[in-house]
Amino acid sequence: MASVSINSPVAQSGVRNDEPGALGRAMLTTRGLIISRILFLAAVLLTWEFASGRIISKFWLSTPSAIMQTLWKWLHDGSLWVHLEATLTEMSLGYVIGCVAGVFIGLVLGFLPTVYRVVVPFLGGLYCLPKIALAPLFVILLGIDLGSKVALVAISVFFLILYATLDGIHDIDRDLVQALRIMGATRREIAMKVLIPGCLRWVFTGMRIAVRYAFTAAILGEVIASNRGVGYLIEAFSGQYNSTGVFAAMLVLVACSLTASELLTRWESSATHSKAGV
Amino acid sequence: MPRGDTMLENRPKPTPVSAANTGGAMVRMQDVAKDFSVRGKETRALQPINLTVNRREFVSLVGPSGCGKSTALNLVAGLLTPTSGQVFYDGQLVQGLNERVGYITQKDTLLPWRTAADNIAVPLELRCRNESRKVIRERVAEMIELVGLRGFDKHYPGELSGGMRKRVALARTLIYEPETLLMDEPFGALDAQLKLLMHDQLQRLTQQRKMTVMFVTHDLAEAIALSDRVVVFSARPGRIRAEREIPLDRPRDVFKVRFADTFSRLHEELWNELKDEVVKGTDV
Amino acid sequence: MADTTGTNQASSTKILIAQVLLAVALVAFWELVGRKFGYSWTSLPSLIAVRIVEWIGTDLAHHVTVTLSEIFIGLTIGGTSGILLGLVLGRSIVLGTVFRPIIVGFYSVPIITLAPLFILWFGLDLAPKIVLVTVSAFFLLFFNTFSGVRAIDRDLILSMRIMGASSGEEFRKVIAPGAMTWIISGVKIALPYAFAAAVTGELLASRDGLGSLLAKAAAQFDMTGLYSALVVLMVMGIVTSAIAVGVERWMLRWRNATG
Repeated sequence: MASVSINSPVAQSGVRNDEPGALGRAMLTTRGLIISRILFLAAVLLTWEFASGRIISKFWLSTPSAIMQTLWKWLHDGSLWVHLEATLTEMSLGYVIGCVAGVFIGLVLGFLPTVYRVVVPFLGGLYCLPKIALAPLFVILLGIDLGSKVALVAISVFFLILYATLDGIHDIDRDLVQALRIMGATRREIAMKVLIPGCLRWVFTGMRIAVRYAFTAAILGEVIASNRGVGYLIEAFSGQYNSTGVFAAMLVLVACSLTASELLTRWESSATHSKAGV
Repeated sequence: MPRGDTMLENRPKPTPVSAANTGGAMVRMQDVAKDFSVRGKETRALQPINLTVNRREFVSLVGPSGCGKSTALNLVAGLLTPTSGQVFYDGQLVQGLNERVGYITQKDTLLPWRTAADNIAVPLELRCRNESRKVIRERVAEMIELVGLRGFDKHYPGELSGGMRKRVALARTLIYEPETLLMDEPFGALDAQLKLLMHDQLQRLTQQRKMTVMFVTHDLAEAIALSDRVVVFSARPGRIRAEREIPLDRPRDVFKVRFADTFSRLHEELWNELKDEVVKGTDV
Repeated sequence: MADTTGTNQASSTKILIAQVLLAVALVAFWELVGRKFGYSWTSLPSLIAVRIVEWIGTDLAHHVTVTLSEIFIGLTIGGTSGILLGLVLGRSIVLGTVFRPIIVGFYSVPIITLAPLFILWFGLDLAPKIVLVTVSAFFLLFFNTFSGVRAIDRDLILSMRIMGASSGEEFRKVIAPGAMTWIISGVKIALPYAFAAAVTGELLASRDGLGSLLAKAAAQFDMTGLYSALVVLMVMGIVTSAIAVGVERWMLRWRNATG
């Protein structure tokens, strides 16, 4: 009830009906959590290791140990780096192009409300088209190499960032703009003082989410047509029915995706902090 | 979700208390104290208090913010267990949720996806009452009339003003006629006129339906105008500082009662008790 | 957006006229440039229109049905399991705290890139696409349901209990409708993902479905076919998301009431 919330966090501990039992409470301590998660993962890996070859053929599922061996081999003979470099190049080029274009167009449309209202259904229509469907077109127009993947990544990132920027602009308190205008601010000043800082947070959020999109787009582009890259590895190994190779490549992918989004989270928090300090 | 009180099950069973023992008492708090732990630190919210509310009595609890008056209501409702002491309701130890009370809180706990009428109907749909649709519809219409919300029954809570939502919450609690009402600053958010109208309705309803009421407020005038007895709490940790019977006749005219001599005398007396505590309370 | 005063806002009719003009101009520009400078890469709007009409007369309905059934089956299986798991983990503090981060960990695999693996496992027919849609829908609905259950105001639950609600009633009257908002938004978000997942699967390996139209055209360097397939996909995408928005608006009409 309200009074309970008002006294919280105090009272939360006093309301008993939802409290976990003794085992539950033990699991909820920090150490308990870490231990129970490690146990769960270990159980999954062990089940996997023992089930495959016994219950399901290794051919379909591979084993964690085989996957680690393959990864180790790739690291040793350096073949991993060639593919990783290709994927990361496509991804980062496309990502930068998509972000810059998205923020730019977003701001332009933010400043020109009439133009925005005219083009919004066209943008919405394009947005509804699954981006991956453009991959064959890009391959035909731009070739099998870098270009087609960069284009695919860029277009996926572009829409996300564009909408993030527009959301940010629409989220800005109109009273604030009005107040500044009454104080005699010019359009330029309003832009510099309110619109741009105001949508910064949204753009950052969009950029963090976009990393995932960029990876997906780069990998899918490679899966569809390429001669190197992590996606190429996935496609090539699945073409050879080599599930160990597919899983190893997926693991590389996950590691990259996690690292990139972690880096961006850090960058985002430091950037917004320094902004707030100004 | 376990609904029973697992923590209490290990406790010795309460010694049965016969109704004769408690006399006309509806609620009896016996040496009840409550501590809360915030990040490992124990704070005392309520010092051991003794408080009895008789059947059909209207008792107000006043005091500075954080003095534990809401905690007292939560203890009676069974939302909290006392750290020490015992809470009896109708002669029985309160264990787990006390489903015989109606609880109206500061915040209205209306279901946002139901219209006003459907919200008011909720208690009647529940297992323990389970009325027929026709009966529910009639009773809801009656309640809507009573709290003056005619024409708003098809509105969602999001479309109603704060005062209207409050009245819906009141109607929802009154519709199942709980024998005891716990009210936690129910009219805090209302404007002055509406507050008076609600006082009038509340007085009429509680008299008519012979309810016992525990009413928490920080508005002394409101407490005096409505109550048979006013209990003043000290600043945190709360204890009972003073108690006064309010010898004003019933039914009262809530609009005019404020101008009676008795009213201003009581107001002054109680204010003298309260004001030191308010000062202390704000220091904290 | 900076202009909030009504006088500066162009009227809706004017906007509509501008939109129609823009659309016509774009199509005319495409047609003219194509005719003038050759259209082996860009095809022509007129050719695309003819092709789409031709498809409508033959097997477009078949491909649409295949893609839609993949989406429907996958959403049903993945959505249901995601909702159920979300409800369970959302209601239990212990299970939620332990297992949710693990599910987040699994989600860090870009789901759609699992397509080759699923094709390897399940062959070329409907199965791998359905699995792909199922997995995408599962995660989105799990996260939404979980957040929905966790976002329910505890005070609502407590007030229902004080009024004497049993745990079943508590679930039916508070938890389920409270989480419904989030579940419906989850379905709305999941629909375009499901669509993309189905098309990706078809694009990689398939004989039927809209993605296979695209793949076939690309393999034959049939630009008109490629653009036609893109147009069909775009229209389907627009229709899907319009339906999703409409359903959400209708189901959650109480929420739009605010203000």
